[in-house]
This record gives sequence, C-alpha cells and structure tokens, in this order.
Amino acid sequence: MSDPINVRALAVGTRVMLGSGAEVEIIVNPEDGVWLFARYLSSADDPAMVGTEDMIFAQDVVEIRP
Amino acid sequence: MPMNATRGYHSGLVDLTSGQISREIFVNEDIYAQEQERVFARSWLFVGHESQIPNNGDFFVSRMGEESVILCRDRSGAVRVFLNSCRHRGMKVCRYDDGNAAVFTCPYHGWSYGTDGALVGVPFFREAYHSELDKTKWGLVPVAQLACYKGTVWANWDASAPPFLEHLGEFRRFLDLILDGWDGREGQAELIGGVQKWIIPCNWKFPAENFSGDTYHNISHRSVDLVGAGPSGRSRRDYNELNVARKLHVALPDRGHQTITYALPKDHQPQAAYQNSPEVAEYFRHCEEERRRRPGSNNRLMGAPGEIFPNVALLPRQPRTLAVWHPKSAHETEVWRFFFVDRDAPQQVKNFLRDYYIRYSGPAGMTEQDDMENWNYAHAASRGVIARRYPYTYEMGMGHAVENYEWDGLQIPGRVIDLTKAQASEEPMRNLYRRWAQFMEADSWDELMPWRHETAAQAAQ
Ligand code: FES
Ligand SMILES: [Fe+2]
Repeated sequence: MSDPINVRALAVGTRVMLGSGAEVEIIVNPEDGVWLFARYLSSADDPAMVGTEDMIFAQDVVEIRP
Repeated sequence: MPMNATRGYHSGLVDLTSGQISREIFVNEDIYAQEQERVFARSWLFVGHESQIPNNGDFFVSRMGEESVILCRDRSGAVRVFLNSCRHRGMKVCRYDDGNAAVFTCPYHGWSYGTDGALVGVPFFREAYHSELDKTKWGLVPVAQLACYKGTVWANWDASAPPFLEHLGEFRRFLDLILDGWDGREGQAELIGGVQKWIIPCNWKFPAENFSGDTYHNISHRSVDLVGAGPSGRSRRDYNELNVARKLHVALPDRGHQTITYALPKDHQPQAAYQNSPEVAEYFRHCEEERRRRPGSNNRLMGAPGEIFPNVALLPRQPRTLAVWHPKSAHETEVWRFFFVDRDAPQQVKNFLRDYYIRYSGPAGMTEQDDMENWNYAHAASRGVIARRYPYTYEMGMGHAVENYEWDGLQIPGRVIDLTKAQASEEPMRNLYRRWAQFMEADSWDELMPWRHETAAQAAQ
C-alpha cells in the first residue's frame, strides 16, 4: 500500500491518478482534506468520463503525477 | 384560547391574577424540556447579521435554542440557515465559528454538502451505495422560514408561524432604534468585533425578564455609576435627555415583546454626550441633528433595554447591542452578545465605542457582571425543595397600565406604564410570562395569533 497523500496540500492544476487508473486534474481544492473538485483527463474504465468534472474522495487518490 | 387567562400554564404556575409565578418554571427540568419543543422550536429566533457573511461562501455558526445551525451565504448569494448536523450519523458538519467554505464536509465519513445545503459528495457512492442513494433527499435540514430585516437574520423551524414582521408587530420601531443609523437613515448598523459568548449558571428567563425592562435593579449597578464607566466619564450612560423625557414601560400583550423607552418632547435639542472625546461627541451631535430633520416618529424615541420574545434582548443606545439568551439546560444559559456601530462612522468613533461597549457589557463588562452575579445566585438559591415551594411576586404596578398612551402628540403602541414618577413596574415581566404560558399551552400557532382572529371578526362585521 502506498503512503497516504495529503490532498489538502495539492494545488489547482495538479494531476493525480485514482484507484481506477483514471487521471484527473484538480480544478478547485476546498482544502477540507477529504474532497477535490477535478476534471477527468483519462478513464479507461469509463471513457465517457473524460472531460467531465466530479468530486474526488481523498482515499481514491493514489498517486501524484509529475 | 385554551389558556385560562388568570391561571396560565396548566397548574397555575403563571398566575397573573395574583401576580405570582412559581419558581418551578425556572428550575424544573421537565418544564425546560417542554420549552425546547413548545417555545424554541416554533418561535422566531435571531441567528446573526448579514455583515457577518458579506461574500458568497461566508458562514457563521449560530444557534437556535440548544441546537447548532449554519448561517451562510451560498454560492449564488442567497442567505441560508441549516441545522449543523450531518444527515448520515448526525456529526456536527461545521466546527468552526465562522469562515468561508466551498463545501461543508463532515469529518466522520466524509459526506459533503454545498453552501446551498445540497448533499454533493458521498464517499464510494458508486461502489458502496451502487449509486442507489437518492442524494436529493439527504441535504442539510433547512429552517422552515427565514427573514432578513435591515441586516439581521431570523429563522423559525415552524412553517405555520406568522411571517417575521407580523410576529414583530408594532415592536418594529424599537428594533429599528438599533438597526437604523444614528442619523436616522435606514438599516445602517454593522457588527463590530467578534461575538462575545459565555455561559451563566442560571435559567435563560432570568436575563430575558431582566432585559424586558427591570428598572428596579438599578441599585445593583450603583458601583458602576460611582466608578463613572459612561462615555463622558460619569455614571453608566449619557442620559441628559432624562430631565425632559417621559420614561415608559411598553408591552405588546399579543406578541410578548416589551421594553423601556424614553419619549422626548417635540422640540428637544441634542444633549451633550461622549464628552471624553471631542471627535466622537461631534459625530453624535451631527447625527442627532440629522435625525431630527428626518420625518417619522422614531426621532422622538430614545432606546433602552427591551426583549423580543422569547430570547433576544435589545439595548439600542449605550451600548448598542443585541444579546441572545440561548438555553443550555434548565440551569445554564449561553449568552451571545452582538455589538453594533454605524457602518459609515469614522474609525475613531468605532474604536471609542468598542472600548465603551466592552467596559459595560459582556463577560468582562462591569454592568453585565453585576447582572450575572444576581441571576447566578438567584437561580441557585431557588433550586432547593424548600425554596421551590415559594413563588416570586410580580405584582408591582398591576392594574396601572394604559392603552392608547399619548404624550405631546406622540402615540405609543401596546400597554404603557409611565415610570417618570413610578420609577418601576413589573408590567413587562408579566407580559413576557403571559406570552410564555400561552406558548406552553397552545397546540398550534393558530391559537397564538389572536390578532388574526380579531381582524377576521372585524371583517365579518
Ligand atoms: S456522520 Fe457525517 S458522513 Fe457519517
Ligand atoms: Fe442590569
């Protein structure tokens, strides 16, 4: 298991990978340490998600992309 | 009305014929529990001031009765009030005093609510709930009614209660004395500083009746008068108008609101005040002159302590403040005191007033400390099994109130006792407890709005 990521500290524009393998870009960070507002850049599971915006749960964030 | 006018609240706990009220209504825990349901869950309650939430997303965590509520300005600019309790397991969603938020996220399992109260984020919504939870049904609980009046925000959990201004009735002009500018312009008040919050070990009705217009306890503040805490270094307040004014108790029997007020003669001139600071003195002198130029009867009223039923105290003048007596238990009250200044006043005036306000009011205020000491020990000394057998007397001035009071062309609403000679009466307290007993007995708001039935009866004639 990877180390937990502190989502509170992630800047707008940061790209992160989710447990599903999808990649999203942060558009708003409410800094509550629980949620991020993000836009889907890729989503192998459900390609229709690409381009849509959604709330991302902190436990779903597995990796910060360079 | 189901209430027997002479022996109210079932067993005669409030007996307005003899002017006696049982100590049980202050110290009995069953009565306290009933009050939460019958008084606080259906009354209009003060929750805050719009100057606390100027921007979209701003919030202030307030209280209604014993319960925490969130006052916020949502992302579209609308003012909202919600119960501060997560719909999942009840966790307090917002634990800050105030701030700005994009969403309110529950710390327990992470449900997240928009500033409009809608449930927007549910962890593992697709995986664990299989997208089957109907999020539209699980938003934060909104109040049934909300009213913004000259910046103040009021809310009510009961959809059948009358609109706020109808509940206020003719008492509106006394509230206006705080909310309008000192120069008479409408709605110029803004909050200064933070809200002072503290706990007093007494039932909430001790402060509520005191602020209803207890002029009898002036002796209790003698030491403050001797120290000269007032803004001119004398007494407690600048009250030079008293030499020419009529001092009145005003009570609105069908509403339960009551106050002390001073009626000024038609042609009275501004009196010297704020003599410890020439700039502040000049500001108020200018405002007083402006106010006299504006039409309307309020420029002949000088504000003094009053109470809006059930738990909001006003002090329109020196210091200009609203207090909310939040019930915490039968034996504890959490006071929240809000202080006001004219929005456009020079900073120097605001600073001077802040110093005066906190010297007078609040947990460290000299005058408020006198009051707290009295309520604290009066409550404790009324709790015992022997003490409870002996009622308090409220018979002062019984039968001496008049209706249609007029002086020098100024008409005053409600029932009035002229205190200019009498000095004190207990008419305001009787008015408070009459209304309280009506609330404790009435099963619906319909029984609590006699004025509507009178209007309907007149129309039928
Ligand atoms: S109590 Fe709020 S998410 Fe469970
Ligand atoms: Fe007092």
